[in-house]
This record gives sequence, C-alpha cells and structure tokens, in this order.
Amino acid sequence: MTALSLLRRLLQAALALWALVSLVFLLCHRDPTGPAELLLPDQTELSGSLAEQSAAHNAALGVIRARLELQLPVFYVGRAAGSSSGAWRWHGPANQYHHWLRALLHGDLGTSLRSGRPVAEQLGAALRCTLPLTAAALGLVVGAALLLGQQLAAPRRWWHVPVRAALVGVHSVPLFVVALGLLLLFANPDMLAWFPVYGLATEEDTMGWARLGNQVAHLVLPIASLVLVALPDLTLQLEAALRQERRTDYATTARAKGLGEAQVIRHHALPNALLPLLTQLTDLLPALVAGAVVVEVVYALPGMGRLLAEAAALRDYPVLIGGVLVTGAARLGALLLADILYSWADPRIRWQN
Amino acid sequence: MLLPPSCRLWRVLVYFYSILSLAGCSPPTATTPAAIRIRWAHDPESLDPLRMASPQAIEAFNLLHVGLLQLNYASRRFEPALAAALPEVRRVGDSLTLLAYQLRPQATWDDGRPVLARDVAFSVKLMFCPGLPNEAAQARYSFIQDVQLDPADSRRLTFVCRGQAPDYVQATGSFVVLPEAAFDPAGQLRPLSLAALRRPAGSKAASGVQEMVQRYLRLDPSKHPERLPGSGPYVLTTWLKDHALTFRRKTNWWADRLPPPIPAVLQAQPTQLRYEIVPGEAAATLALQRGELDLFPQMAARDFTRLRQSTTAQRSLVFYTTSSYDIVTAGFNTRRPALADALTRRALSRLFDADGLLAATQLGAGQRTAGLVSPTDKANYNDSLALTPYDLPGAEALLRQAGWRRDHAGWTRLSPGTGQQTLRLMLRYRPDESVYETIALQFRAAAGRLGIPVELQPTESGALTGVLKAGEYDVYLRTLRGNPFGFNFAPILHSRAVGEGNLTGFGTPVTDRLIEAVAAAENPVRQARLLRRFQAMLQVQCPIVPLFFLPTRLAVSRRLVGLAVYDLKPGYVATTLRPAAGVRAVSAP
Repeated sequence: MTALSLLRRLLQAALALWALVSLVFLLCHRDPTGPAELLLPDQTELSGSLAEQSAAHNAALGVIRARLELQLPVFYVGRAAGSSSGAWRWHGPANQYHHWLRALLHGDLGTSLRSGRPVAEQLGAALRCTLPLTAAALGLVVGAALLLGQQLAAPRRWWHVPVRAALVGVHSVPLFVVALGLLLLFANPDMLAWFPVYGLATEEDTMGWARLGNQVAHLVLPIASLVLVALPDLTLQLEAALRQERRTDYATTARAKGLGEAQVIRHHALPNALLPLLTQLTDLLPALVAGAVVVEVVYALPGMGRLLAEAAALRDYPVLIGGVLVTGAARLGALLLADILYSWADPRIRWQN
Repeated sequence: MLLPPSCRLWRVLVYFYSILSLAGCSPPTATTPAAIRIRWAHDPESLDPLRMASPQAIEAFNLLHVGLLQLNYASRRFEPALAAALPEVRRVGDSLTLLAYQLRPQATWDDGRPVLARDVAFSVKLMFCPGLPNEAAQARYSFIQDVQLDPADSRRLTFVCRGQAPDYVQATGSFVVLPEAAFDPAGQLRPLSLAALRRPAGSKAASGVQEMVQRYLRLDPSKHPERLPGSGPYVLTTWLKDHALTFRRKTNWWADRLPPPIPAVLQAQPTQLRYEIVPGEAAATLALQRGELDLFPQMAARDFTRLRQSTTAQRSLVFYTTSSYDIVTAGFNTRRPALADALTRRALSRLFDADGLLAATQLGAGQRTAGLVSPTDKANYNDSLALTPYDLPGAEALLRQAGWRRDHAGWTRLSPGTGQQTLRLMLRYRPDESVYETIALQFRAAAGRLGIPVELQPTESGALTGVLKAGEYDVYLRTLRGNPFGFNFAPILHSRAVGEGNLTGFGTPVTDRLIEAVAAAENPVRQARLLRRFQAMLQVQCPIVPLFFLPTRLAVSRRLVGLAVYDLKPGYVATTLRPAAGVRAVSAP
C-alpha cells in the first residue's frame, strides 16, 4: 500500500467516523426532553400542592434545558418549532450539533450528564481497565489458537477428536454462561476458591510484586472467559485453513525435500493459512477498546463495556457518543489495518495495487 | 531438545496451569482491617449535593453531612440533628408557612468553626444560584421563599415557605448544609435575597455570584466531596470510581461532645466503612460467602433462599427479611373506552394471581395487599377489604355484567358513544426486571384462558414513563415507591395530574376531594378514617391493582453486631454497625 493510498484510506476512515458519530448524535437528540427529565426528581417526590409541584418541575426542566442547550435546534436545518405546515428552516450555526462538533474539534467530548465528569476522563479511566484485560485476552487467544491450530492440523492423534469436540462445545456456550461458570467453579468457597471474585487490585491494597500478582489473580478468570469464548472459532478456522494448505502442491514439494510435517505446517502452510484469519483477528481489535460488557458486569470490572452499557440505559448521551467515537475509530482502524496486513501478507494484492 | 508436538502441548498446558496456580495463591483481596464492607450495585456517580442524587449518593451524604433533621429509621420520624429541636411551625393565613429552627451550639464543621444559621441560608441560596447544576434542588425546594436569620441569635433561622403542606418539616430538614466560608468567604451572597437569585438576569449581574459559582465549580464536589468541609461523622478517604468508596470516622466529630445519651440519629459506630461496587449478583453473593463482604442489602430472592438453606452459609451469615414500601402494581388506561368502566377493570384485576406471583418471584416473601397502604401500617391499612382473588370464572362473570359478550371475534360489546368495542389489551412493562416479565406472562396466560388477547410490550425503562404519560398502553406494570411520611396520592391519582404522574387517567370529583382530604388531614384518627375510605374506593374503581409489597432482604456477616433491619430503603443504617466483641478484624486471608 502506497503512502498516497494510505492517506486516501485514512481520509475515508475519518469521513466515515464523522458520519457515524454525527448520526449517533442526531439520533440521541431526537428526544431532547428525555435526558433532562432523568436529571430531575420525579414529580411525585416534590413538596407542595399539585400545581406547585408541576410548576416547580417545569421551571427546573426549563433551567436544565437551558444549561444543556437543549432549547437550541438540533441541526442546521429542521422544522420550525410548533409549525404545523412542516416548513423547513435554516437555523444557522446556533444549533446543538454545531456546538458539539466545534467542541469535539477542540478535543472536548463534553461532560457526563449523570456524574458531571468530563467524558474523556471517564473513557480514559474505563480504557485503563479494559485494555489490560482485552489485550491480554487477545494475545493469549492468538497464541493459543496458533499453537492449537497447528497441533490439530497435524496428522491425527488420539486427543484431536476430544479437543475438537470440546472446542465445538465451548463455541456453542454464550459468554455469560462461561463467565458465570468459571466464577462459580474457581471463586466459590463451596468449590474451588482459587481466584478473587470481583474487581481489580487497587493501589491501596498492596505494593510492588505482590500487587502485580494480585492484579494478575484478579484478571485470570475474566481473561479466561474471553479466551475460552474466542479460542474455538479462531482455532477451528486456522485448523481448516492449515488442512487445506497441507494438501497443496508446495506442501507436497516441501515434504519431498525431506521436511517433517511440523516444519511443513509452520514454515510453509501457516503463512498462507493466516491470510483468511487476518480478517477475524482484526475484527477482534475493536473489542479491545469496546470491552466486554458481560465479563465486566460479572466480575465487577469498571471497563468500557460497562460504562457504555450504563450510559445507554440511563441515556447519558455525551458518554455514549464519546464511546461510539472511540470504538468507531477502533473499528475503522482495524479495517485499515486489515487492508495493510493483507497487502503485506499477499503479494498478489500488492501487485494489483 | 525436540519433543513430539503432543508432548510440547502438554508441557505448555502444565506451565499455564502452574502460572494460574501461582496467581491463585495471591491474596484475593487485601481489605483494610476493621473496615465494614457493604455491597453497592452501582457507583454513586456524583457526590455533588446539588445534583440529583442516586440512592448510593444519598447514603454517602448521610455519612459526610448532617441535615437539620435526620431520619430515625426505627421510629420512622425525622428527629433533630443539626437542629436542637423540631422546628416551630406557624401558619400565616393560607399562603405561608414559617418554620423556625434553632441550631445546636455544639455543631461544628471539620475545621472547628461553628455551624451557623447563615450556613443554612447560604446552602439554600446555593440551590438557586445560576450556573450551578442545581436544577434538581431547585425543583425540590422551590417552595422556600426566603430564609430569615435572627440578628440576635446566629444559630436561629426561619424558613418562609409558600403555601402549606404536611411535608415541609421533613423537606426543610433534610437537605445538605454546606459551609459558607468554603465557597463564599467574603459573604458576597449575603445581601442577595432568594427572590433576587431566582431572577437569572439580576443574579448573574450581581457581583460575587459568578465568583462564587466559579469557586464551587473549581472545587468540583461531584468528584471530590472530600474538599467540602462537612458536619457529618465521616470523611471520604478514597473513591475508586466503580470500584469502592472508603469512609473514615472523624476522631473529633462534634456529636461526640453532646451530653449523653447521644440521639440515635447522631450515632456513628464503625471506624471505617467501605462500600464495594459489585454490580453482578453472583459475584456479590460469592464475595459474601467468602467473607469479602460483610453486608449484602437488597439480595435477590433466589440467592437469598439458597444461602439461607446452606449450612455452611448459616455458620457465617445471618439473614433478615422485612417488608418494604415498594409496591408492585398494575394500572389500567381508563382513557381507553374498553377500560373506562370500573366493572371491566375489576374483572381484569382478577386475572392476576398475586399469591402465585409472590411465590414465583419472591419465593414467598413480600406481602399481599388490598390497597396502596402497607398492611404493616395497622392504623391506616383497611383490613376490612378482601384481597383481590385470582378468579377466572369471577372475572368472566364481571365481564358479562359489564356488557361484554364472547363470540367468534373475541370479547365485544356495543357502546352508545363509541360503537362496537373489542377487548384486546396491550401490556407494557420494563423488561430489565424479571418480576414484571413473570407477571406479564401470567396475566397473558390467564387472559388467554378467557379468550382475551394480550400483546406484551416490554419497553425500555427510560422510555416507559413517556409512553405511559402519552397513554400508549392498556395495562402497565410498575413499582410505586411508597412514602411512609405522608399519604399524598394526588400525584398519581388526582385528575389534575393526568398526563403527568397520574398515568391511568383516572379521576373524578369525588375521588379528587377524598385524595385532597387525605393529604391535608392532620388529625391521625381522621386521616386513618379517610385512608380507609380511599382504599375502599380504590378497590371499587380499580384504576390501579395493588399486587404486593416487595420484601427487603439482607444478609450480614456474623462478625458484625448492631444491625437493625428497617422497612425503609436501604433497609439498614450503616452507622449502627460494629464488629462483634471478640471478633478479630478481618484482614487479608
């Protein structure tokens, strides 16, 4: 891939990302009263007569809408408020989208409606929890899939059938069952209480190596859950690709030159078998930042998945939009990376370009 | 050395297992010794006293700050805290209520400065300062017109409140009082009246307001509540977002200097409290079993029952169940012609198998009820009313009595105003709680047996209230949070609240008058009589079907004593807990 085409792809990715977050922004702001209502007590909790309750609620709603700029038009064009004719109007730059986009271009993702904290700070904190978890899981799953895939693709051994059956079995189990199963098996005083139940080790707990060990212990079960769920698919795909490559002429030639089966697989079949796997691997990258909501809830990890799920449930739109921006960027980055890797790994694509 | 692939695989597996085993030997959690650890399902998100507070934030505020009055959970009454006594209440005609408070002379802030009446006045003004995220406080305290200070006594003040309402004492006593010196050391807000602050243009222009607002925002109390001096017994020592909050008891708390006996609302036993944020029920239950949590409030029915039956768990835990003020109800859209008559609604109310639902969803705990008043409130509950039975033949008979006929097209009737009506229902509920799902399925099955089609419409919780307010439903399921301090049903059943809190659209002049009389009654005997009438009326009109009161379930470690379980949320008071004598403080295993 040349620098020019890379630049073109980057521009396309940026454009797609802008379109994605703009769409999410506009969808979130279709109901401008919603989030404001959630920031106020229920009218039934207010003191005074019904009329006073209603007046107090409406007055506070007006103030909150003004503070959040919800009284402004959502976009540059829109139907005039209260217009029955449905006539479209140009609102100019005094609209919510314009203000949001201008802030975004200055690096300001806004403030959480619920906590009042900057969205960037919340996303950063969540990523600091998610990345070690998902990166470790990704590394392990890739390593284990490479190892296991090669073993399974080798000439048949007695353990191939049970391992393959186990992989297919695990593949059919949803993540929440795997996560809960591991928790109930390995963190249960009635079974095996080998690992901590929830959370992460904190700076107040211990120091130095002990803290690192504690941190690792906290992450073992969440990582194992993610690995177990992702491993079968990658392994079985790799095995199938390797089996196909082993039947090719160049593999036969390598064998004829006296190479052992393991060397044929590792040095000749594997590089070609990895090609179809690249898409799958890059597909896993967005999950690095998006987190795994199920695992984070089950193991009480304050990561991205939990943050975004709660933001969606409680209509904390600034956090939700910020999360979509980050995960969207990761998704587009992964697609770009897949293209680059394909181009690097397959000379035919390079030549075609 | 070259090994066959299978041997290498096994070797890798052995290494992997060894690493896991080593990691497993690490201490699961190293908890601060002597800390009492309580499970929270959610982070409090913000500890800014001006923002809309979550239940967790309210619990934290009660540790960090003391209001003029504090709730005594045992007596279910608000009792003096910062205030030396309950306020003197004086009514001025029909339009004003004056509540005069006297502050305790012993009450001080963390820095030793006394808590004065001007701090209370400043806290009220803060709620109306433009530029602060104080809209929730504005809505709650909009009835306060002014706070008058006594020039002769720096600890005496009077709230001037618009109109009259029985809950003004509770409302004026329960907000967080903040120190004026921390935000407005020069007292720039003092000359501004509340009325002036409420005029945005005037208050923005006023010198000092913007300065004070900037100072408040710079302190960032939503994230750093520890920067605010408090008058409560605890300080927040750590807040690991979405992980844990630790509170340490002050050694020099002012209430310790009060002459004994120290009022119940000002007692603070634990030296350290740690709230662990564990959203998952399974993880929280296991942590409790392992001794990593001491108190698990609002436990799920299934886990609670399972643990209570476990002999291992019984050795280390004590289990409590009590009633709550949360009542699961079904409501009918009385604006729909098919549901406009009480007979039809009463017929449909018989399709709910409340006993079976209690058994299925709460495993037998909880309490059935005939009205919106808790049966534990013996004085006010109308015990002469029969519980609505699960009675399909009875429902069918009532439907026929209401003019419905069953034919090949289902249940139909002719109405002079609206022509032919067909009985088919759309049931809305929140899908995130299994109790609603179970009720919805049971209702649909029962209705199906009578030939009434029911369409289930699970609706996302954020959107549900809006949809119900718009009247886009026939039947809904929701939980009403009861208020034990007053009986004001106007927001949910008065005709003037239709389209707002009154989701059923129900309301007649007679019921409106009764609801108003109940809310205004000050004589307990008269109020009880009116409440009984109200409950009877509600059962006849049946806009809402009260199904059952939910239980509160708590499991607590045996290493703690002092737990009293209450029917008010969260069901316990953390400040009464303490380690049992002779029990060593929990440390890392």
